[in-house]
Amino acid sequence: MIDVQHLTKKYPGGVTAVQDVSFSVAPGEVVGFLGPNGAGKSTTMRILAGYLSPTGGEVKVNGMDVTRNSLEVRERIGYLPETCPLYPDMRVREYLRYRADLKGLSRRHRSAGIERAMEQCGLVDVQKRLIGQLSKGYRQRVGIADSLVHNPDLLILDEPTIGLDPNQIMQVRKLIQDLSSSHTLLISSHILSEIEASCSRVIVMNRGQILESATIEELSKKWSPGSAIVVEVKADHADVDAALRVLPDLKRIKVVQEGEWARAELGFKSDDDQRENVFSCIQEQEWSLRELHAKHHSLEEAFVSMTTEATDA
Amino acid sequence: MTRFFTLWKREVASYFVSPVAYILATMFLVVMGVGFWFLANVRLMAGATFYDLLRALYGGVAWFAVLMVIPVLSMRSFAEEKRSGTLEMLLTAPVRDGEVVFSKFLGIFTVYVVMWLPTLAYYPLLANAANQEMVFDYGALASAYVGVFLIGGFFLSIGLFCSSLTQNLISASISSFAVISLIFLGGFLPAVSPIPGIRTFTEPLSPILHMLEYSRGVIDTRSVVLYLSSTLLMLLITTRVLESRRWRA
Repeated sequence: MIDVQHLTKKYPGGVTAVQDVSFSVAPGEVVGFLGPNGAGKSTTMRILAGYLSPTGGEVKVNGMDVTRNSLEVRERIGYLPETCPLYPDMRVREYLRYRADLKGLSRRHRSAGIERAMEQCGLVDVQKRLIGQLSKGYRQRVGIADSLVHNPDLLILDEPTIGLDPNQIMQVRKLIQDLSSSHTLLISSHILSEIEASCSRVIVMNRGQILESATIEELSKKWSPGSAIVVEVKADHADVDAALRVLPDLKRIKVVQEGEWARAELGFKSDDDQRENVFSCIQEQEWSLRELHAKHHSLEEAFVSMTTEATDA
Repeated sequence: MTRFFTLWKREVASYFVSPVAYILATMFLVVMGVGFWFLANVRLMAGATFYDLLRALYGGVAWFAVLMVIPVLSMRSFAEEKRSGTLEMLLTAPVRDGEVVFSKFLGIFTVYVVMWLPTLAYYPLLANAANQEMVFDYGALASAYVGVFLIGGFFLSIGLFCSSLTQNLISASISSFAVISLIFLGGFLPAVSPIPGIRTFTEPLSPILHMLEYSRGVIDTRSVVLYLSSTLLMLLITTRVLESRRWRA
C-alpha cells in the first residue's frame, strides 16, 4: 500500500526534517508512527498526502508515485492534518458534501458516502449544526468523517486524539478500531498508549530517522528485556528481601512494607518465566501469599529507553 | 469542471456568510451613491450631459470605491486559509493548484460584480427624473462596466497574489493596496510627467486614461488585451506561489 524508499526532506535554511527514511505498509495493516515532537512524522505524512514534495527518494502509494501521480494518489487517500482545520461557517453535512464534491464523488455515491461517514463517526445528530459551534471532539470526528467520505483505501491520521478529553479519546480510539477492519491506517502520535491501543505495528521516528519498525510485543521485548514479577506476602520486608535475593538470574529487587504485607518487585535478566521459582521460594518460607503476577512491559518503557538511548548516542 | 464549480461556490458562499461582504458592499454603495447623487443633482442641473455623468462617475468616483474595496475583498482568499490551516485540507484533496487559484479568483470576481449590480438602478431613476431632452447612451454605459470589470479583475488578481504570500490578513490587504495604488497613481504620469519620453511610454498603460475611454464608449482592444493578459499572468504567478509550498515548507 505504502512504499517509501530513502525519503529525504530538507527545508530551505538547511533544516533536514526527514533523512533517508524507508518503510512500507501492507494493505490492511494498522501502523503507528511514534516519535517525540519534531521527529519528522508530520512531514512524512504531508509528503504521503501530496501536500509537500520530497527532496529525495521515492514515495509510492498503491504503486503510484506521490509526486508524478499526485491527483490519483490523493483520490485514494483520506488525510487528517494534525490541527484538523475545518470551515467554521459551514454545517457538518454541508461541509461533508463540499468535500465529497471536491473528491469527485458522483451524485449517487455522494449521499451514500456522507451517510456512511456520518454514521461511522457518530455525527448524524449534529449534521445540521455549524462546525464552529461544535466541541473539539466533534470537530475531530468531522475531520475523520471527511477523510472517510470517499471511502479511500488508505487513511492517514496525524495525531487524531490530540487535545481531546479522556472520553473523547476513547471514542476516537473506538472509531479507529472500527475503521481498522476495512482500511489501511497510518496513525501518528507522540503519546505511546495511543499507538499501543490502536496499532499492530509501530514505526518509531526520532530526529528525522527511523529507529525501529516492529510489532508492539517485539519492541517492548527488545528495548526492555528481561521478565518482571510482582509478589505480595505476609512477612517482614527484610526477610523477604533476604529470601528472594538468592533466586538465580535475578537482576534487581525492590521490597516495600505495606502494613503486615511486603510487596516485592523482581526483575530478571532473561525472558524465562520465573513465577514457579518465586512461588517455591515463598512456599519454603511458609508465608501467606496474596498476589503473584508477571508484569508486561509497556511500550512507554520501550519508548523512553529507545529515545534516551538515541539522544545519548 | 464539477470540482471547479464546487470551489467557486464555496468561495462565493464564504463571503456572504461573513459580515465582510455586506460591510464592503455598503461602503461601496455609499461612496458610489453619494457620487451619483452629487453628479445628478449638481452637474446635470448645470447643463452636463449623460456622457459627462458617465465620465465623472466611472472615470472618477469609481476609483475611490475600487481602491477601497478590492484590497479588502481579496485579502482573505489565501491568507485566511493559510492562517486557519484549511489550505492543507484543500490542497490534499484531489484538486490542481491552478484550479484552486482560478476558482478563488472567479469567486471574488463574482462578489465584485454583484457589488456593482445595484448601481444599475441609477439609470431608471435618472430617466425618471431627468428632462426629456437628455440623451441616454446605453452602449457607452455598457462599455463603462466593461472597463470597471476589466480593471477590477486585474486589481483583484493582484490582491489574490498578495494574499497568497502571507497568512496575515492585514499585510495582505496593505500590500495589495500599495501595489494597486502605485498602478493607479502611475496612471497620472502621462499627464504630469515633465519628461516627454515617460509621457509617451505610460500613456497606453494608464488605467485612468483607459477608464475615461471606456466610460465614453470606446473599447480599445489593446487595453482589453493588456488587462486580460495581466490578470492571467498574475493568476499564473499566484499558482506558482501556491506550488512553492511543496519545497519551501
